[in-house]
Amino acid sequence: MNTIPTYSEQELVSLLRNRDNKAFGYLYDHYSGALFGIILQILNDSELASDVLQDVFVNIWRKIDSYDSTKGRLFTWMLNIARNASIDTIRSKNYQNEKKNQTMDCQGDGAQVALITQVNVDNIGFRKLLNLLREDQRSLIELAYFKGYTHEEIADMENIPLGTVKTRIRSALIQLRGLLK
Amino acid sequence: MNIKDYISSGIVQEYVLGLTNAAECREFEELLVQHSELRAACRKFEEELERNARNNAVVPPRQVKDGFLEAIQNPSISQSKVNNMQQENAPVQRGGSQRFMAAATVVLLVACGWFAYRSYNQSAELKESQATSKDLQIRLDSAENTLNKIIDEQKLIKDPNVTVVNMVGSQAAPKSSANVFWDTASASVFLMVKNMPRLPSEQQYQLWALIDGQPQSLGVFDSLQNNVVLKMSNTKKADAFAITIEKKGGNPSPTLEKMQSSGRTKAPL
Repeated sequence: MNTIPTYSEQELVSLLRNRDNKAFGYLYDHYSGALFGIILQILNDSELASDVLQDVFVNIWRKIDSYDSTKGRLFTWMLNIARNASIDTIRSKNYQNEKKNQTMDCQGDGAQVALITQVNVDNIGFRKLLNLLREDQRSLIELAYFKGYTHEEIADMENIPLGTVKTRIRSALIQLRGLLK
Repeated sequence: MNIKDYISSGIVQEYVLGLTNAAECREFEELLVQHSELRAACRKFEEELERNARNNAVVPPRQVKDGFLEAIQNPSISQSKVNNMQQENAPVQRGGSQRFMAAATVVLLVACGWFAYRSYNQSAELKESQATSKDLQIRLDSAENTLNKIIDEQKLIKDPNVTVVNMVGSQAAPKSSANVFWDTASASVFLMVKNMPRLPSEQQYQLWALIDGQPQSLGVFDSLQNNVVLKMSNTKKADAFAITIEKKGGNPSPTLEKMQSSGRTKAPL
């Protein structure tokens, strides 16, 4: 993952906007692992995460014209697409049915997928940092970031005032920021 | 507002992680334009986040990249989705593309009419050489067939009730792929296959729906029907679809070691 990029971000974005397939291959090679890690942290199911990752890249290809570099870096934009797609998947009807139906599985690509299932998502990335937070902060970040609930929904669910939800999430994020360094 | 307090309030992290609501986003983006300190703080956190994500990367299975590259090389199948996206972001272009489609349809219809008329005239004139007019008629029929197929395909792809299930090849046949178009409203199942290896004449492919772990046959088809939409048997439920090689006419239950490709059902994008 330490390869020196051969494109600057600006060059890359303008190639992507021209639907340059080579640039999309490069984008995939450089970012698929990082995005897959995040998707796995949300879904905790490698087969489903693979499907979502493919959809995410196809969506990046479709929506690249709506990326606005003044609002943030390319990775941040892709990360948010990946997170939103993962949360949509959790909330979809099919996913809820599948959870009840865990025994049903395709024998198709078993060997390859089984290898990844070994990754314990509690020990990677953001989730690992979460374990360092206080319990009340951790559960709020879990609901907001990994489950995609709004502050209002969380206030309802946890039966705490909206203002408290906001301040706890912000103070948790400030701590996480320190831990990220 | 004191921008230093604002920066240290945690709003930067909330914004970058996508946790701000619409009003907070708008305010943040306005301030982002005005304050270079805010831009710098934002960029710094984004870089830290990216570094953390890279350090925790997990290599995805190889077929994801293949599937992605194939999808962007054959964008025709996702045409309707591209239109949906333009609808969200650029309503003006949408009108344009619909007008273009309408114009193209009219041109196509006029051309069809003209060909039909010409073929009719020619066949009348060439009564003595029946062979020629017969040939023209066959060509017209086949052109009409192709056109009808394209129209049917378009309808299928655009239908919001249709779930497209992308099936990828198994180890037995890595290059084969197929799309199942499953109309969950009417329970109809359509199939389009690509690169299925040719089979000996005593064998056929068979499509299965897996329902609660139990396979149910949705019918048989031949390897030659590449890139054609096939109407299969209906099913109301399916957790996944799979294709196997079976004897001509099909088998009551699938031969799993002959699995050619499979795909789970999931909500369309």
